[in-house]
Amino acid sequence: MAEQGRIAIGALRANWFRAVLTALGVVIGVAALVAVTAVSAGAQEEVAKSIRNLGGNVVKVDGEFITIGTSQSATDRTITPEDVAEIAKLPMITTVAPHQDIESIVVSAGRYKTNTWLVGMTASYAQIQNMRAVAGRMISAADVSFGRDLMLLGQVAAANLFPGQDPIGKTVRVGNREFDVIGIQNRRGKLADENLDNRIFVPLPIVTRVLLGGANTVHVDALVRTEAEIEPALDAITTLLREQHKLPPSYPDDFSAEDQASIVKEGQRATTTFRFLTFALGGIALLVGGIGIMNMMLVSVRERTREIGIRKSVGADPWTVQLQFLVEAVVLSTLGGIAGVLAGIGATRLISIFAGWQTVVGVTSLFLSFVVALAVGLFFGYYPARRAARLDPIAALRYE
Amino acid sequence: MIDGDAATVIDVADVTKVHRTGDVTVEALRGVSFRVEAGEFVAIMGPSGSGKTTLLGILGCLDRPTTGSYRLVGQEMSELSETRRAHVRGERIGFVFQAYNLIPRSTAFKNVELPLVYAGVRAHERRDRALEALAAVGLAERAQHVPSRLSGGEQQRVAIARALVVRPSVVLADEPTGNLDSASAGEVLAMLDRMNREGATIVMVTHSREVAERASRIIRVADGLLVADEQVDPSLALEAAS
Repeated sequence: MAEQGRIAIGALRANWFRAVLTALGVVIGVAALVAVTAVSAGAQEEVAKSIRNLGGNVVKVDGEFITIGTSQSATDRTITPEDVAEIAKLPMITTVAPHQDIESIVVSAGRYKTNTWLVGMTASYAQIQNMRAVAGRMISAADVSFGRDLMLLGQVAAANLFPGQDPIGKTVRVGNREFDVIGIQNRRGKLADENLDNRIFVPLPIVTRVLLGGANTVHVDALVRTEAEIEPALDAITTLLREQHKLPPSYPDDFSAEDQASIVKEGQRATTTFRFLTFALGGIALLVGGIGIMNMMLVSVRERTREIGIRKSVGADPWTVQLQFLVEAVVLSTLGGIAGVLAGIGATRLISIFAGWQTVVGVTSLFLSFVVALAVGLFFGYYPARRAARLDPIAALRYE
Repeated sequence: MIDGDAATVIDVADVTKVHRTGDVTVEALRGVSFRVEAGEFVAIMGPSGSGKTTLLGILGCLDRPTTGSYRLVGQEMSELSETRRAHVRGERIGFVFQAYNLIPRSTAFKNVELPLVYAGVRAHERRDRALEALAAVGLAERAQHVPSRLSGGEQQRVAIARALVVRPSVVLADEPTGNLDSASAGEVLAMLDRMNREGATIVMVTHSREVAERASRIIRVADGLLVADEQVDPSLALEAAS
């Protein structure tokens, strides 16, 4: 086998330019596979990170417009404190957090103003959403029950309102009310196109009673015990709320209930098509590369017919001859594969730098690309090698 | 495995060979029988188309007889698979061709070593034996030269070294001097002579009377039949050599 390798490398070196051109197809194919895998692994990693940031197993229940036939209610149907209490009783739900959001509001601190998203929250909301304070402290259960005028800032909101300053202990004005900043939230990143750090948080009663009036909320987040129970939880909540809201069977839901991570997963699906296409392109490049290898090996067998005859006359049996040419094809495709892996890593770097995508070059994907290259050599080298093995020694020796 | 006379190297009995190319069939051999004993130097002579090259192909296990039996050192060859025949070629037969048939990109050393590679001899022993064989043909200095840097005579001597390196039962030479000038031809023939005196069994195909007379015995083939089989008068051989 070592001897076969040496013969193969010698033969390839004798025609190195042809070998390089032939291997190019495999190089491109493998490079494409490596780059696509790295980009998609990066995307997946990013998705996984945002799901982790969001907190796992969270179900979001939102009040919606009521639609009957073609007419629609003027405002959202709300979730009452009784609804929340009933949801909390469901066996697969561990924590329930009603919250009220004002999705666009201008707030100010001194001469700085910013448009942000205000969340009226509770301590359980912080728990479900994996919120932490990186400076100062969180809004506590006591802050919520007393309805204190306190505020937690997301990092983008903090930067907009207090550029270059420590916001803690300062005040933020919402309408004609002033809030003391008590903490800065940990960085959350983005969910789809939404920056989760451009948010400010105040105790829930302030939003419901003071800013809006009443006790009802439009949103409830519920933490489900296990991932497997997310679907049953969605069904149970739907049944429960239809009962609570006394909806006749013919009426559509006046609320929506969905898995928080599903939004992220939705986005992921879109990139799957793109990934599949690039993968297919890589596959086509490999196929073309393989055919190139087959063609070159056929030419090589023809050119070396006499050499094959000589080898046979001094004792090379058909299997040995076949192995020699197979090894040559595999060496060629494997060298192409190695070059492809390097080119793929290079391409991945460039993608990271210029497109700003997160990429992950995994050892498994490198190994797999290598195996694919090897398989291409074996598959497309088989027929030419077989032809060499079956040459009649006398005819081969006479071949000019 | 070995029956009959242990000293019989080649035992050809009633061998025929029919070549088929499309609808055309050619009877290249029409029933040939002879024996070659160990240590003989046999020349096979005949005009082109007489079947002598076909016969050499069969003796070299490059081809199989259509009918008849061919025993090499007592072992029947006519029914062996291609793989087994390849192994027999590698271990028992040394070829010397008219066109030298060295592998162009390989050095003289690599060419001589090649049969040992296929015979599975270890690298260390291969090296010693190949260098020894090259020294025996006077080319120890040229071991690292590729064939294109060697003269025709030198290339043929490399081929002889390659034939001898496996210590074959028989050396088959096909017009070994056909491509050489007379001086180189003389050297190559002298070398075959010497090998024969040292115990090698040689079967050589030639159409040259002068070359054939270096052998101890001449077999004449015509139209696929053996037409004469005679011992060479040693005095004639001496005359030809002088």
